[in-house]
Amino acid sequence: MRPGGDSAKLAKYADQIGGTARVEIVRGNLLSRDDCLRATQGVAVIYHLAAARGEKSFPDAFMNSVVTTRNLLDACRHHGSLKRFVTLSSFSVYSNDRNGSAGRAATGDLLDESCPVETNPARRGDAYTFAKTKQDEIVTEYGKKFGVPYVIVRPGFVYGPGNEGITGRVGVGSFGIFLHLGGSNTIPFTYVDNCAEAIILAGLRKGIDGEAFNVVDDELPSSREFLRLYKQNVRNFHSLYVPHSISYFLCWLWEKYSHWSEGQLPPTFNRSMWCSYWKKTRYTNAKVKTRLGWTQKVSSAEALQRYFDSCRRKAAHA
Amino acid sequence: MLKVAIIGCGKIADSHAAQIQRVKACEIVAVCDREELMARQLCERFQIKGCFSDVKTMLTEAQPNVVHITTPPQSHHSLAKLCLDHGCHVYVEKPFTLNTMEAVDLIEYAETKWLKVTAGHDDQFRHGARKMRELAAKGYLGSGPVHMESYYCYELGQTSSYARALLGDKEHWVRRLPGGLLHNIISHGIARIAEFLTTDSPEVIAYGFPSPALRSMGEDEIIDELRVIISDSEAATAYFTFSSQMRPSLHQFRIFGQSNGLILDQDNETLIKLRGSRRKVSSNSLSALSTSPNNTPPIRFKTSALFSATTFTLNQE
Repeated sequence: MRPGGDSAKLAKYADQIGGTARVEIVRGNLLSRDDCLRATQGVAVIYHLAAARGEKSFPDAFMNSVVTTRNLLDACRHHGSLKRFVTLSSFSVYSNDRNGSAGRAATGDLLDESCPVETNPARRGDAYTFAKTKQDEIVTEYGKKFGVPYVIVRPGFVYGPGNEGITGRVGVGSFGIFLHLGGSNTIPFTYVDNCAEAIILAGLRKGIDGEAFNVVDDELPSSREFLRLYKQNVRNFHSLYVPHSISYFLCWLWEKYSHWSEGQLPPTFNRSMWCSYWKKTRYTNAKVKTRLGWTQKVSSAEALQRYFDSCRRKAAHA
Repeated sequence: MLKVAIIGCGKIADSHAAQIQRVKACEIVAVCDREELMARQLCERFQIKGCFSDVKTMLTEAQPNVVHITTPPQSHHSLAKLCLDHGCHVYVEKPFTLNTMEAVDLIEYAETKWLKVTAGHDDQFRHGARKMRELAAKGYLGSGPVHMESYYCYELGQTSSYARALLGDKEHWVRRLPGGLLHNIISHGIARIAEFLTTDSPEVIAYGFPSPALRSMGEDEIIDELRVIISDSEAATAYFTFSSQMRPSLHQFRIFGQSNGLILDQDNETLIKLRGSRRKVSSNSLSALSTSPNNTPPIRFKTSALFSATTFTLNQE
């Protein structure tokens, strides 16, 4: 865990499972090669979950996602004991763009593991997407060059206690009123426990080296359904539905103005981002089920209830 | 075409690269970072051809005319001298050097080489600051400054990535600076005052302390509150305030002469003229009228800053 992290939570969790497992907490910084060497000594399976979430700076996000991953990979190579390197990626790395290189997602609107990833992630204007795409690249590169046995897990939007925010796929609240952009789109949710199950399996199943797995739950609500339930169960607020054609036009306009004004507006909203977040898309968990043997442990109804309870608790303590 | 190179590819290098590319007569020919991956990401995003992890190799092969140094300050002095040795003008990101001795040495070294070296106090060249300088030079203040006040604040909350990195890492390079956090941040605000001082060695009385907010996080090494009184040989005085806790988090400079005063509000990119012969108004109309006759709201500056303080974010996956 990182310096300054809350070790008490981790220690408590380690105690809970202490009966069957021997847990050693290593404190260090993944930017330090020495710390990486220390943390990976004699390790057979690495679940690399650390990521630079919430970073607005591209170099910071890159450093905290890619340089750290490279350090871990180098440390693994040094020790030679690694059997599986599981890295956490994101749905945001998929281009989902009808003008993309393969145009795969446009044909059936089904996003699966064979869809192309973003080839020019900088154009998304999102440091997180850039860093995650580059992280996938470096893991793949180490797999090809040095034979590092890796598996990439790409969860949809992980929700549950600890992540109470409303995903940007539903809408944005940056402009005073919540703009509902998802409409009838399916939202690729995965409840935190279900996602964790898939991640664990990705480290243990044989014969899946070099594979990527998308993780979404079985019964996915539409954006509209989710927003209605959220308002019913957590808090009511005003939202304004923006049809897809208008949100696409606004993203196009924002992109053009950002470019024309030489960055007076940050390129946060653009067509690439619209395709990734708000284009009507279907999702599948067929591969994670067939290859990993994953099943959804917590039903979507139960997961949503737990999520809303957590949101209410958080709001009460705010 | 002026050939420019950047050494150090961290967060601030992005701003340098973006602004250099706006200048038509400039081309970024190379970037360098001892972490090769960091150099590569900057090259890829800004479509720069030269990507290096060794400074000497970069200077030899790319042969830039100007080098921007955006590394942590501990390396500024040695890197700048190396660049000067290769015949390059040097732009050093603030803070300029670790101490006065290094700063003096670097300036003298550049002079002996007939090359230019500058500190990255770019705030001094924003629209409002330039207008203020122009008015002061035309004698608007009526004399040299009688008194100045500079506020330079920084919101150091747990939500800022800078704060998380600094507070979470006892070995962070900012902590290793002689002046710690203040050393890294206050130079923009101090530069505003220094511009109008008549001596390089003013009298300075300073009081700094860790804020209660920082102490409550178990942090007592970092000084994040600073109050300073400055006086120069011509008896011009100045107050400088740095705070991580006061709100609004001001970036403001006030300068008063014998005739008039000026307020430069960087956050709103606004310059307000304060006339010495201000007419009195009744208290109930004070808020509406007190500044309106003298205010020169530069709309063209305001629009450029309209969205600068606004962030647009999505809940990431």
